[in-house]
Amino acid sequence: MDDHLDKLHGFVDTITSMKETIITNIVLIGQIPAPTFKEKKRIGVFMERLAEFQVDECTTDGYRNPIGIIKGTSEKKPPIFVVAHLDTIFSKDIDHYYTIKENSITGAGIMDNSVGVGVLLSLPEILRKLNLRFESDIVLAGVIQSLGKGNLRGIRHLLKTWATPIRGAVCIEATELGRLSYYTDGMIRCEVECNISSDNGWEHKFKPNAILILNEVINQILKLRLPQRPRSRVIIGKTSGGFKHGVIAYNATLGFEIQSNSDKMVKSIFNNIKDVVEGIGHEHEVDLKLKTLSNIHAARLNFAHPLVKSTVAVMKKLDLVPISEPSESELSIFLARKIPAVTLGITRGENYHQKNATVEIEPISKGIAQIIGVLMAIDSGGCDEEQLA
Amino acid sequence: MKSNWLEKNTFHYSEFNNLNRLVEEKQRKNLKISLCLPTLNEEKTIAKEILIMKSELMTRYPLLDEIVVIDSGSTDKTRDIASAFGADVYEAAEILPHLETFKGKGENLWKALYIAQGDIIVYLDTDIKNIHHRFAYGLLGPLLLFDHIKYVKAFYDRPISIGKSKIRPTGGGRVTELVIRPLFSLFFPELTQILQPLSGEYAGVRELFEKIPFPIGYGVETSIILDIYEKWGLDVIAQVDLDKRIHRNQDTRALGKMAFAILQTFIRRKRKLGLVDFKEDLFDEMIQYNLVKNQYMPDIYKIEGHERPPIIEVPEYREKFKR
Repeated sequence: MDDHLDKLHGFVDTITSMKETIITNIVLIGQIPAPTFKEKKRIGVFMERLAEFQVDECTTDGYRNPIGIIKGTSEKKPPIFVVAHLDTIFSKDIDHYYTIKENSITGAGIMDNSVGVGVLLSLPEILRKLNLRFESDIVLAGVIQSLGKGNLRGIRHLLKTWATPIRGAVCIEATELGRLSYYTDGMIRCEVECNISSDNGWEHKFKPNAILILNEVINQILKLRLPQRPRSRVIIGKTSGGFKHGVIAYNATLGFEIQSNSDKMVKSIFNNIKDVVEGIGHEHEVDLKLKTLSNIHAARLNFAHPLVKSTVAVMKKLDLVPISEPSESELSIFLARKIPAVTLGITRGENYHQKNATVEIEPISKGIAQIIGVLMAIDSGGCDEEQLA
Repeated sequence: MKSNWLEKNTFHYSEFNNLNRLVEEKQRKNLKISLCLPTLNEEKTIAKEILIMKSELMTRYPLLDEIVVIDSGSTDKTRDIASAFGADVYEAAEILPHLETFKGKGENLWKALYIAQGDIIVYLDTDIKNIHHRFAYGLLGPLLLFDHIKYVKAFYDRPISIGKSKIRPTGGGRVTELVIRPLFSLFFPELTQILQPLSGEYAGVRELFEKIPFPIGYGVETSIILDIYEKWGLDVIAQVDLDKRIHRNQDTRALGKMAFAILQTFIRRKRKLGLVDFKEDLFDEMIQYNLVKNQYMPDIYKIEGHERPPIIEVPEYREKFKR
């Protein structure tokens, strides 16, 4: 392990010398709009670039997740996965063209997750340049349908249909460098829709207001008593509705997530909110629907798990301070399948999820060296014996 | 017009995406290739252009030998950014400094011929938001693979399905459709086959560029086409579909000035060839009007239409390139 760690700073220098290729990959893939469920064009370019970089195999699985495989030296060792989600929250009408300055890249989706995908595409060339061979196959997967209503379908399908055991995985997110996610909260993502008939019949003489109805839902949610143990919360994240300032809103939508490190608690809170929604719908005589958009189960590695310990060692060697937080990304699906995995960030940035999201260029090399360090740790066998609880 | 030039000399960039083959041809013919980027306040787009070209066509495939930026005196960070990303950056005014100084795209292109080392020169505008290395290799393909082709012009948006019943507009801009195409139709019908004569992306061999004059301003694209057509004929020219090009839109007033410069260049060429004559000299001011406090105020913009001679006539050039 120490041998690997000692090489990391040298890796940073080599990776920095490949800056143009890495940024080119980030830009060429990131400038193609890929809203969730409409990733086809980005998949095409992803495959094209992977093929150009001469991975040993380049294909899509049955769900159209594009995959590149760098063959390992051992036929017996299970593969190691590196994944980044391809989809973004931005529609194709948004300007996706990036601006590059001396130390920054700016544009829609750059932080979620163009940098991650661009780095994934660059790994074959980087590993070649670093003259690194692994015992395991390295599977580079750009997974689709991750965000929002996508509900991590791409990664779920990929892992469900993957025929052989998987040795470990690294999930790549653009930001923040220093992030070390090795556990995931249980989560249910919901939407409450309120629709009020716009008919002019007598029964609608005193028409209710959809926004005020949802306001009542929010108030009732806020009144719920949430425990500190298990750690639990409800995040009210999104609202929309109405037509114009002087007209009663006929429809409105509220989006929220229930998060807890206990699946049981998530379910319990969900049932409470379901009762709230049904009660308000009944009392106000409105069409109020609670829909589940996605859900994930709580799962974790222990801090003492060799993969976590190795990752911390890699990060410290690179002078990074590991900050741990739960992740609701692809990580959750790996952990749910008892595959050791971590999520790591590549660089620093600002204006996350905005059209002018900006990432720094300079830290990217360190972010990539970190990923390679973790891949080497997994490949060295340090994480093989440990089973997830 | 009896010409099958459009069918013979029109390509799509994807016909040239085997970059190894292009590199082999370049090496077999022992050629040097320069990418020249004329700039004026392009800090938002210049880095991306240099970076992608360098990564794809220098590091990964050694197709380009150098990237040269010729700047017209940008007041933003264009020059610093271009240098930081590894281009060779020059201020136009500092090249051949003993000559009278002019400012304009054509001036930068002309001076690039003195600075760049290449046997083939690729000129690309630097305001392209969706820049991709196809913009360069697409133009280089015909020059490297077909010996008779000496100058290649870009066009965009897959405009015409030749041989099929489905026809779409050619995708030319307003100045192309309202100025250039009518002029070409009137005077040089063969040249109407060049679908987007004003596109700012083209490549050619040095032996051609060095023997033609360069207007310093907007007229340079028209002038290059007219001169090459006049001296070497249409068959040395090819055009390549580079798919989509996303760039800043210019307002109608700016396009008016562009149209003025193009007409000026066109008429001068016709005069020089003895094809038309005027009893008086042309005026050199474009006059537009603004409504200011209920009064129409003229906005006069001088477009003198200076022109650089063929650079082979410049002694320093002849000495440097042993001509």
